[in-house]
Amino acid sequence: MSRSRIAIAVALLGIVVAVGWSARPQAETPAERVDRITSELRCVVCQGLSVRDSPSESARQMRDLVTQRVTGGRTDEQIRDEFRASYGDWVVLSPPVASWSGLVWLVPIAALIIGLAVAMRRLRAPPASLPEPPSAAVAALRERVAREEALDLPAADAR
Amino acid sequence: MPRWLRLAIVVAIGALVVVLVLAFRRPPQDIRTGTVGKPAAAFTLQKLDGTGTLTMTPTDGKVVVINFWASWCIPCKQENPALVRVYERYRASDVVFIGVLYQDSREAGLQYVRDNGVTWPTVSDDDGRVAFAYGVFGIPETYFIGPDGIIAGRHIGPIDETTLINGIESLRAKVKR
Repeated sequence: MSRSRIAIAVALLGIVVAVGWSARPQAETPAERVDRITSELRCVVCQGLSVRDSPSESARQMRDLVTQRVTGGRTDEQIRDEFRASYGDWVVLSPPVASWSGLVWLVPIAALIIGLAVAMRRLRAPPASLPEPPSAAVAALRERVAREEALDLPAADAR
Repeated sequence: MPRWLRLAIVVAIGALVVVLVLAFRRPPQDIRTGTVGKPAAAFTLQKLDGTGTLTMTPTDGKVVVINFWASWCIPCKQENPALVRVYERYRASDVVFIGVLYQDSREAGLQYVRDNGVTWPTVSDDDGRVAFAYGVFGIPETYFIGPDGIIAGRHIGPIDETTLINGIESLRAKVKR
């Protein structure tokens, strides 16, 4: 193995180690956990804003509640369940798959699968061929071509 | 296009139309979220007039009407005359009215109570926990709790006299049965 190949291998290994190191699971601080959880919850008085991003009073109270629950030792799932109990699955920005709201995940996937199936079918299907004309028609056509060739009509072509 | 695909498209469009029709037919005052049909949360809050606390225990066999409001809320002022009239109608009965001040200062709430003839018990939900427990989106919102302690219904937005009376009477009928 040449030196350059060894250098490339070492460089690749270095990249893999660096990516793996940066992506390793790290312990969240309580504030980071509150940020993450509130970013997954919908502000109930806003249009498309999370509890974390909304400046509204309702969102502020909800952030306080999440902070209190995190400090109290509740799990993420318990906190989300509490919000769902009050506002339904709607309050979670990424609705659970095992619910009616989960259709937002399943419908696009189903549409993609159906679309791929249709596309594959189209690609595999043989090209549409024209039906064979009856032999009598072919004979008549040949006869006509022969007749027109025999006539030799340069004037007609020039027109 | 194959027959099955045409059928699938027709079924998908039909399903979409059904969903849209059902969604648009539902009145916005009757959006069902997490809490309707579930046990109402008990709570203890400070009374607005400063005379101590009020404890709401939903399972004591009474019909309870909880109205979330604030002094700065224009629709709350619009619905107030209906609340006053209906409260007077049921004042001597076993129907309990509770006004919950939400996202407002106690001083402003107390002034509103004095200015607008609110004589039913009013409490202040300072940190919004009670509103959260009931699934309040915005004010005004009115909740009807049956004698079994279950939230039987809620009304989003300003409520009128007929809706209030109908909500109360349907629950009182359960008590009589």
